[in-house]
Amino acid sequence: MIFSMKRRGFVKTLVALPAATGLAAQQAAQQAPANPQAPAIPVPGGRGGGAGAGRFGQGNIPKFEVAQPDAIGEPTQRFFTPAQFSALRKLSETLMPAMRGLPGALECGAPEFLDFLLGTSPAERQATYRRGLDTLNANAKKQFNKSFSELDATQADAIIRPLLTPVPWQYDLPKDPAQRFIAEAHRDIRTATVNSREYAATGAASGRRGGFGGGGSFILPIDPIYKG
Amino acid sequence: MPAKEYDVLIVGSGHSGGMAANILTKQGLSCLMLNAGPESDFDHNRVNKAVYDLPYRGFGKPGRLPHVYQANEFNANQWVDETENPYTHDPANLYNWVRVRLVGGRSLFWARQSFRLSDFEFKAGDLEGNGQNWPISLADLHPFYNRVEEIFRVSGRKEGWPEFPDGNFIEPQYGPDSDSIKKLSELGKARGMKFSKMRSSGGQGGLASSVNLLLPDAMATGKLDMVPNAIVREITTDKNTGLASGAHFVDRHSRHERHVKARVVVVAAGTLESTRLLLNSNIANSSGVLGRYLHDQIYGIQVVASVAEARDGKRPQGLMGGSAFIPRFRNLKKEEKRNFIKGYCVIINSGGGANPSLFAEYGEALQKKVDSYAGSCVSGSIFGERPPRYENHVRINKNVSDAWGIPALHIEVKDGDNERNMAKDAADSIEELFHAAGYDIVSKTPSFYPPGYSIHEVGTARMGNDPKTSVLNKYNQSHDIKNLFVVDGSSFVTCGWQNPTMTILALSMRASEYAADQLKKRAIG
Repeated sequence: MIFSMKRRGFVKTLVALPAATGLAAQQAAQQAPANPQAPAIPVPGGRGGGAGAGRFGQGNIPKFEVAQPDAIGEPTQRFFTPAQFSALRKLSETLMPAMRGLPGALECGAPEFLDFLLGTSPAERQATYRRGLDTLNANAKKQFNKSFSELDATQADAIIRPLLTPVPWQYDLPKDPAQRFIAEAHRDIRTATVNSREYAATGAASGRRGGFGGGGSFILPIDPIYKG
Repeated sequence: MPAKEYDVLIVGSGHSGGMAANILTKQGLSCLMLNAGPESDFDHNRVNKAVYDLPYRGFGKPGRLPHVYQANEFNANQWVDETENPYTHDPANLYNWVRVRLVGGRSLFWARQSFRLSDFEFKAGDLEGNGQNWPISLADLHPFYNRVEEIFRVSGRKEGWPEFPDGNFIEPQYGPDSDSIKKLSELGKARGMKFSKMRSSGGQGGLASSVNLLLPDAMATGKLDMVPNAIVREITTDKNTGLASGAHFVDRHSRHERHVKARVVVVAAGTLESTRLLLNSNIANSSGVLGRYLHDQIYGIQVVASVAEARDGKRPQGLMGGSAFIPRFRNLKKEEKRNFIKGYCVIINSGGGANPSLFAEYGEALQKKVDSYAGSCVSGSIFGERPPRYENHVRINKNVSDAWGIPALHIEVKDGDNERNMAKDAADSIEELFHAAGYDIVSKTPSFYPPGYSIHEVGTARMGNDPKTSVLNKYNQSHDIKNLFVVDGSSFVTCGWQNPTMTILALSMRASEYAADQLKKRAIG
């Protein structure tokens, strides 16, 4: 496809297009060969081609008011074992509790979201989490003869505090596997919490602005590869 | 219908290709620009979204862009998809090749820091005694820098320091520095650190890109045909003359193969894509150094300190805020003996907070810490120069191809002691400066990102006077093929500590005017 200039903006100029109809013609238009001498041919509209294609794009399809999946279903926990997930919930509640009128990690569904996120993550990161949660349970068993999720706040602190380390740089995490896990999990639990709909809704309701994960300009897929 | 023969084929539409098109079309030459990617239209390609409406709550799809640390869930679609465009490296030697394939390339997204190289970089070989000089000096590029700075509306403060050359700047009205910066500036003098201000391209309408500053004028001449989604597979040469004759390209969508003819070929696809194209074309490498001397800059080194008087929300008026820029101050004299060559710059920012990860705390206690330090911090972020090394190179990996069957690059780059020693010196020197000011050190990070992260990769088709040790001459012209020019960062001999964009633009402008002159004289093509 050739582009020419009008004023100071780029204006697409269709320069060559094989005679075709419907979708086939539109696809061909996107693929018009680079031939600046070829005359412009208008793009035909109307029906899509092929058996069963039917009529489409006539503007007569009603728009329904629909419900969102997150609003009508409970998250299904799939990745962690029940023991690991219980430990993750306890860790989330401890590291990022509800405070100052804002919901904590549990209220924001951070553990359930992390179960989803880790379930699609690279194997190394999955192993860091699985090992880390198993370590929390093992340490709790050793020190208090309980699972990590059964500990009170003082007991949980006794397990977690030795593993806390300052992390100046996220690409230089602690070498110790348990410390590394806590560093990663702490960052992830905080992010999953403040970037949640629940956190934003509470912040907005209380009139606070900023610091709630926010939003931004999302770039859509730009002319993805044509797959036929 | 026979294909048209263009005066010039330009491969790539970023800053270097845009500048080539701008100059060559104004000289009345017919140009064809082939772009590997589509046009971006931010009116239609962007929508505002809340982070909680993204499937991954801002984390991004795990593993989607493993080499692009700059990627997030908002911008993930702007980067090159590695499943379509793979490259390889030894797992032990990570290389982050950060790419954009859109009309305008990475010029759509750059940080706009706008510096000239100085003769401490152009003549680095003299200073360091290793002979790695550019074949040009600052004086050669000075008039071109001037014109580029005017187009890009570069703002900055003139200083008269040879290691930080002044330019054709718009000089903003700078307010007084905050007391926290003034103190550092005073202390810096005894340490050889000179405090200036950031130099930056203003562009137009918030954009300083090829697509708004260079290509519109080229299109307005009526001399430029621009084709998006045209991936150049190979530069072709004439069997009789050995000169470049055009290129084979493949349509990104249909995968149809085509050939275009041109009297001159200007390659401006970005350092590594340009070199990949030359290697795949098996041309311009009589020296054997094509693909060699890949290097960029070390990023990530940072020191953060807190000013006690500004903690807990006190922040006396005038104490905090603002920024400063310290250009290279190391190894400016031959007699300076350190355990590294070359240098680094420092960006100082005052008035920020501390990241929660800097404290070994959690819950309410952590929040109190974060609140206490908010607005009290001073940071020093350091960018340093990696030396060009012969062994750091790229080559074609014949076993891996992209989605269009074009062989991919294998990248082999290792950091050395020079980088590590420089990073340590940088972190130590800024820590010592902050400490001398009485600021409490919060964190010190001498670590740096893997090669490529800076997105300032240069070299691999370096220029030089000797055809046996360089790919291009001082006009970015192939020593081997006189009607072939490579006008992007691949021509660099050394990258310096500076953002390379102004130098790439100036080189492309100079090379394009030279090419136009040679074409008109029929000395080439």
